[in-house]
Amino acid sequence: MSRRAAGYFVAAVVVAALPWLITTPYWRGILVLCAMNVMLALSLNLVLGYTGQLNLGQSAFFGIGAYVSTVLVKTYAWNFWLAAIAAVGAAGLLGLALAAFAVRLRGHYLAIASLGFAVITYQVLVNWEKVTEGVRGIYGIRPPVSGTVNLFYVVAGIALLVYLLIDNLVRSPIGDTLRAIREDEVSAASLGIHGALWKAFAFGLGAAIAGLAGCFYPGFVGTLVPDAFNIVESFTMMAMVIVGGMGTLAGPVIGAVVLTFLPELLRGFGELRLMVYGLALTLVVLFMPGGIVQVFIALKRKFTSAR
Amino acid sequence: MIAAKNLNKSFGGVRAVQNVTLEVPEGSIFALIGPNGAGKSTLLNLLSGIYQPDSGDLVLNGETLIGMPAHRRVRLGIARTFQKIRLFKQLSLLENVRAGFHIHQDEPFWQCVLGGTRGRFDEEALALLDFVGLAAHAQERAGALPYGQQRMLEIARALATRPKLFMLDEPAAGLNASEVEFLLNRLIKAKARGITLLLVEHNMDLVMNVAQRVFVMDHGEALFEGSPRDVQANPRVIEAYLGGEIAA
Amino acid sequence: MTDLAALIVQQTINGVYLGCLYVMVALGLTLIYGVLNQINFAHADFVTVGAYAAFFTVTRFATRVLGLPDTGGYLLSIVVALGVGALLGLAVNAAVFAPLRKGDELRPLIATIGVSVLLENGQLALFGPIPYQFDSPFSRETIRIGRIFFSEQSLLVVAVSAASIAALYAFMRFTFLGKALRAVAQDRETAGLMGINPNLLIALTIVIASALAGMGGALLGPVLVLTPFAGATVIVKAFAIVIIGGFGNMQGTILAGVLVGVIEAFTVQYLGSGLIDLVVFVLLLVMLAVRPTGLIAERKEENV
Repeated sequence: MSRRAAGYFVAAVVVAALPWLITTPYWRGILVLCAMNVMLALSLNLVLGYTGQLNLGQSAFFGIGAYVSTVLVKTYAWNFWLAAIAAVGAAGLLGLALAAFAVRLRGHYLAIASLGFAVITYQVLVNWEKVTEGVRGIYGIRPPVSGTVNLFYVVAGIALLVYLLIDNLVRSPIGDTLRAIREDEVSAASLGIHGALWKAFAFGLGAAIAGLAGCFYPGFVGTLVPDAFNIVESFTMMAMVIVGGMGTLAGPVIGAVVLTFLPELLRGFGELRLMVYGLALTLVVLFMPGGIVQVFIALKRKFTSAR
Repeated sequence: MIAAKNLNKSFGGVRAVQNVTLEVPEGSIFALIGPNGAGKSTLLNLLSGIYQPDSGDLVLNGETLIGMPAHRRVRLGIARTFQKIRLFKQLSLLENVRAGFHIHQDEPFWQCVLGGTRGRFDEEALALLDFVGLAAHAQERAGALPYGQQRMLEIARALATRPKLFMLDEPAAGLNASEVEFLLNRLIKAKARGITLLLVEHNMDLVMNVAQRVFVMDHGEALFEGSPRDVQANPRVIEAYLGGEIAA
Repeated sequence: MTDLAALIVQQTINGVYLGCLYVMVALGLTLIYGVLNQINFAHADFVTVGAYAAFFTVTRFATRVLGLPDTGGYLLSIVVALGVGALLGLAVNAAVFAPLRKGDELRPLIATIGVSVLLENGQLALFGPIPYQFDSPFSRETIRIGRIFFSEQSLLVVAVSAASIAALYAFMRFTFLGKALRAVAQDRETAGLMGINPNLLIALTIVIASALAGMGGALLGPVLVLTPFAGATVIVKAFAIVIIGGFGNMQGTILAGVLVGVIEAFTVQYLGSGLIDLVVFVLLLVMLAVRPTGLIAERKEENV
């Protein structure tokens, strides 16, 4: 077995074992949330970390996935998995719409355009009451599988597949292309890279993955309100990517795990625990630009050179 | 090879390139010289597609380039380097050159998704790094290289596109004497492989040593075109540009 | 005056008043962008902090401790909020912008997003999620001209923001530091060669911008639903204004601020208040698609 296959095997074993190690219903719920956050962080990392596009609108695609799947299931009595496919498609298409801006805008301008995109999506969810029920919310949403443990297996299994997909992509020539765009668009174009096309690819795929994560959120919580997809949600995802280490494979996973569990462990501190996201984000950018993964790499390097 | 006719480009009233007509003969080393601000870089940007001309014609082997974006021109065999080096600084040397093979990638999409695509061009990329004397540093970060080697890496990366016409914007700028000599040697080797070269250059020794034809620009206009010997002898060129440098 | 004409005049006045408030916030963003080419994402949280500072000045300090009348208390709170904003500016410059000056443009932006989340949740821990009731004594008095009504507060807001803008312009035009600031905004490298210390100027810019935001908090306080997240609703609008006006362009920002205020007033009148953000942001996206350099702007080609 190659090292890579062994890694996936270990990851699958860990995922399978987690519900046996963590047995209280509350913490099992956090496990599901964590798997969802891993997916979201992976999706943002594809756009932000590998393609270098500062996207503050990822919460919109998460929300679109949640609403499209839920409305199709609840209002039109679709099968969940069919609805999920439609939701992923809808999120992906909207990702392409945002990409239309990303093609023309760079850096700060893109950041604000994507922010605007998230605000508009949020406002549509609030105001289009006929379909979304607005701030009143949709209630009594059931998960696609019954039981927290089963839900965890489904979501974590999909998260693992998403990881595998991105792993394959970034090792393939497509990875070289995306990284080239991140580093310098002008010289990427001088090598024949069609920047607009590949940015659209990254945005579309990133949005689709966020939409996929969104399909599982409403069933897990049971209710659906627009506030769950506020722009603050985008910042949370960004914190996960940056704290873990953007542009790396393991980084967003580590970031998602740390930033899902850390605030839960700090529950004793009341509202102060929510400051963790902000503090972690600022401190990591200032003092540890490579994120947690960077520290591991540095330690490993020290260890091997010491021998 | 590439032929421009009456090209014009202005920026906010400044006419950077005016009525320039030139033809680069296939298989030659063609040099573009002129004082600072003569419009050389703008002309190069017009040829490579970073800018579109305001008016004029641009043809590569019979195919018009007007309106064609930079990335499409690469597929027709145009490659370039930049005056201010533009590398993928956070990537390794190998990754830099591998990205240059983009237009030659023929991996089916599903294989990128399902995995197992690694290394199709690794060997060729290493060979190019070897060609510019950087094979030993393949795994290092491009941004960490010394200046002169960054220039060579940029050349290797552009060569990965397998160009027919290779345009270099001041490749010798900032290089020391031995680096210039190495560069010169590599350019001649590249020409021997059948690549047509267009050099924008300040370094006179280099131009006079390698170029078959020299095109002189001043104030955005064509001033003179001829062999290096003719250029050195032409009084207008001497007056406008070379001055005492050539007399000495 | 017909009903319709009166309504239009009334809504325009309301819009200008709102617009002046937004200008106070957006001007700081644009100022920082002009000099530093950076976005301070926590800028609007300075507005919230300023509003809380003003609230506590009015309710706990001005009347009770100093024995000032209502109106004096509110005016004092504006000054306090201005000072608090300036201090926050100093802090964010020292913590984020100064250390991250060299390097890629996105790191400071991301760091200030962290600061924003930190400030919002810090205030949540301190003040709780329940909105604070914040009245200005000037809101009670209404002025009536024909069929048009406006509060003294709106007059005060327009006066204070006009005075601030005038002061800012005078500063930029007539003082050495102000001229230096403009020089830096136009061309950082040349300004450096002229012996101007860019670090000092950058700090000064951020302090001025943040003071404006803090002061904006005191003025916005009575309009806002004052919660720890109040700034977030303002910042998205401020971003829209800055983009519509053209990043770093002061005149454009002022124009766009007033424009957005007027659009908001008419949106409330004709479409309902729930649609304000939607209208403003669709305008923003259209602007970005059509003319990303803003209303008043020159085009810059990237130098290759």
